[in-house]
Amino acid sequence: MTDAAVPLTVNGHAHSVRDVPGPERLLDTLRWRLGLKGTKEGCRSGACGACVVLVDGRATLSCLTLTHDVPGAQITTIEVGPEDAAVARVRAAFAQEGALQCGYCTPGFVLTLAGLLHERGRRAAREELLEAAGGNLCRCTGYAAIVRAVERLATEDR
Amino acid sequence: MTAAARPDAGLKLTGSAPYGTDLDVPGMLWAAFVPAPVAHGRLRGLDLGAARALPGVTVVGPDDLPGLLGPRERDAERPLLVPDEILYRNQPLALVAAPSLAAARAAVAAVRVDVEPLPVVADLESVFPDWPGSDAGAHPQVAAHVHARHGDLAGEFRRADRVLAETYRTASVHQVALEPHACVAEIRGSTWYVHTSTQSPFGVREDLASLLGVPEESLVVDGTWVGGGFGGKGGSFLEPYALLLARASGRPVRFALTYEEEFRLGRTTLPAVIRMETAVRDGSIRARRVRLLLDVGNSLPGRDFATGYSIGFLLGPYRTEAFEVEGYAVRTHKPPFGPHRAPFAPQCAFVVESHLDHVAREMNADPETFRLQHLWVEGSTTPMGQTVGPFGLRPAFERAMTTARSWRAALGPGQGVGIAGGFWSTGTGAGGEARLRLGPERLTVLEGEREIGSGSVLAGLTAVAAQATGIPPDRIDIVYGDTATAPFDSGVYGSRTVGALGRAIQEAAVRLRRTLAERLHGQGQAELVVREGTLVATLGSRSAPVAELLTEAERAEGGLVADGRHFAAPNHLDEDRVVAGQFYPYNDFAGSVHVAQVAVDRATGQVRVERYAAFQDIGTVVDLGSAQAQVEGAVAMGLGTALTEEAIWTDDGRLVNDGLLDYRIPTLGEVPPVDVTFVEGYAGAGPNGAKGLGEPPIIPVPAAVAIATRAACGAHVTELPLSAERVARALKLL
Repeated sequence: MTDAAVPLTVNGHAHSVRDVPGPERLLDTLRWRLGLKGTKEGCRSGACGACVVLVDGRATLSCLTLTHDVPGAQITTIEVGPEDAAVARVRAAFAQEGALQCGYCTPGFVLTLAGLLHERGRRAAREELLEAAGGNLCRCTGYAAIVRAVERLATEDR
Repeated sequence: MTAAARPDAGLKLTGSAPYGTDLDVPGMLWAAFVPAPVAHGRLRGLDLGAARALPGVTVVGPDDLPGLLGPRERDAERPLLVPDEILYRNQPLALVAAPSLAAARAAVAAVRVDVEPLPVVADLESVFPDWPGSDAGAHPQVAAHVHARHGDLAGEFRRADRVLAETYRTASVHQVALEPHACVAEIRGSTWYVHTSTQSPFGVREDLASLLGVPEESLVVDGTWVGGGFGGKGGSFLEPYALLLARASGRPVRFALTYEEEFRLGRTTLPAVIRMETAVRDGSIRARRVRLLLDVGNSLPGRDFATGYSIGFLLGPYRTEAFEVEGYAVRTHKPPFGPHRAPFAPQCAFVVESHLDHVAREMNADPETFRLQHLWVEGSTTPMGQTVGPFGLRPAFERAMTTARSWRAALGPGQGVGIAGGFWSTGTGAGGEARLRLGPERLTVLEGEREIGSGSVLAGLTAVAAQATGIPPDRIDIVYGDTATAPFDSGVYGSRTVGALGRAIQEAAVRLRRTLAERLHGQGQAELVVREGTLVATLGSRSAPVAELLTEAERAEGGLVADGRHFAAPNHLDEDRVVAGQFYPYNDFAGSVHVAQVAVDRATGQVRVERYAAFQDIGTVVDLGSAQAQVEGAVAMGLGTALTEEAIWTDDGRLVNDGLLDYRIPTLGEVPPVDVTFVEGYAGAGPNGAKGLGEPPIIPVPAAVAIATRAACGAHVTELPLSAERVARALKLL
């Protein structure tokens, strides 16, 4: 199956990605073949969470996902438009709380939280959201403003 | 408190802010190092032939450098590629560039390296198993020796009621900016151009000029969005290599590190051993003797700033009658020492505060009152003979004591509260320039610095420009330029950005307003206000829309330009107290006092931080949202230094934990909420009396956690980090 074309729908746009080597990671396909550099490359080992995207609605580490393992998947990245209501809500909460500094971890946090909102039908408790985001690393904020953004997400549901 | 929305939030929340790792130029090649396979050895052979024969691959070895470069200032002492003797593992031996990263790695694998291994000095304490005598400055592993003293040390020690002596050890910690170093280089005609993720475009240009032997006017450095710096993206790193490959290949070259390489090659804080001796009489500190062995890795002899700067912080902000400090920067076979947010100061505060807490306990004194009694205040003389300027440390300490008392009233078993203070010299640092351009309706601030995340450029400088001109922040644009077009600045480091560039902006704003006053046919400074949606200049009863005050030429060029600059005069210390080496005077004195509440698991030694409060002497708050965010972030980073972060090197100079799964930074669930209080009114040199903020709030964190841990369970841990294992050993559980 190496080098075969892989069909992917990314942010609603259908792609057929050709000549994908077997070991290629979804992270690299998104960044270097589709030009979607918003998905960030950090550790490439599943530790930092900067590369999280949604694969069929679920938060997924794109650095540990082989592109050939997700043919036909619906992928959502940080570049998605306002039509993704969950992403839009997380963005608004992060903007209102200033929950970012350098911004390198931000796409991963936004999609991790949006993934949980997708899974939970847009309702999620503070503790669930914090647990979901607990696997994403941030070096700048000390997580304080991110926690405030999560609290905003949890309370605006009620 | 809710922070104001950041000006860059929209870009960063939609993936629209390109970082260094995102640079993508048509036709670019991908670069990689050929890494040294040992930490110390003689390079007997480097066979690049098979790599050079690969299609599309460019290889640069040491023998290629003379043909690619001009005459270089630092040729011999800082070789770009190992000419002969390998001095740390993974040191670059050669460079490759290829059409893909996989092809570049295949080319690296094709290189044959023949090395004669030599004995490795990986550990500082193997160089000096005992404290060195004063003749050790000539030791081949010593990069720098600093020594200072003042007062009747021997007499005070002889007359003391008690002398307390302890030895402390601190660990190597990494900056862990989530974005690895990355740049793209191109040769454009006679210009060497590099686009890079950096804290200091002008600093990179200066470095490149001496490393490459290329005149500054032929070098252009442009910044990108920066995915975290913390000191690690100060000077040049990958840029000279990318430029060499671009020169050799005739193509643009992307050079980015993997995260493993980030750890292995990172220039950061290395281990240290500190000996503290304190003589006490009649309940007061009379004399202090401090000795420091600081691992500086492969830092250059005589170029070590860290030792001479840091050693002052080992005396802490405390009065003493007599003192002696002596420190050695010790070379080991590791990468060079480099700055990490308030370089080595958190480690110094950990040692000073833990030691004085210990001294007070041994004297049966209240540890906090004891420290409070000895704190510097404005007008105190530092051990090196400098007069302390406006300093909010003591009021911060008093407020922290009130907080600690209330927290202690509610403690249960296994919990404890600790207070620690510290200080940092902030200020305006090396110089900076600003250029303002007033258009008909908006003001532009032209900047060579990029926003690195702290908010100092986008939020801080916007706030200063708004205050200085009267123009509302939503009519102010920060516009970035490269080193060829932007005004000079020395870099976003040293907690200096708002201070230096803020003062330069203020000066430019005065010029701008004077020019407008002249155009209103008056004197002094015009005011700028928005009236019914129009930007208007006023002077007394006269006023006119700005659009009508601009000349034809100014309108064509985007507006009226005014420049400002700020280069601070250096301070001085008492050179008579210096015995050897170089010491550095302080600028502004910025105090930080923190209160930590911890719970210690009595079975495992695990320390958990439950509550945290920070009191920060800031002079004047410039932008409250980003100021609070700086303190919150610094505390979390300090908790890593305190509890989990430790780069571990083997005896053969290999870094054991070169990934984020093994080198543990704090996660979301491990950082408690931080109550932030700013102590204002003790003015610094920044705009309107502001002091720098990026670094100070990390300084007391390991100390506060250590003192709280001792309060909670009695464990007096004299090594960083306070891992469960070290606490368990102190509790005699292991």
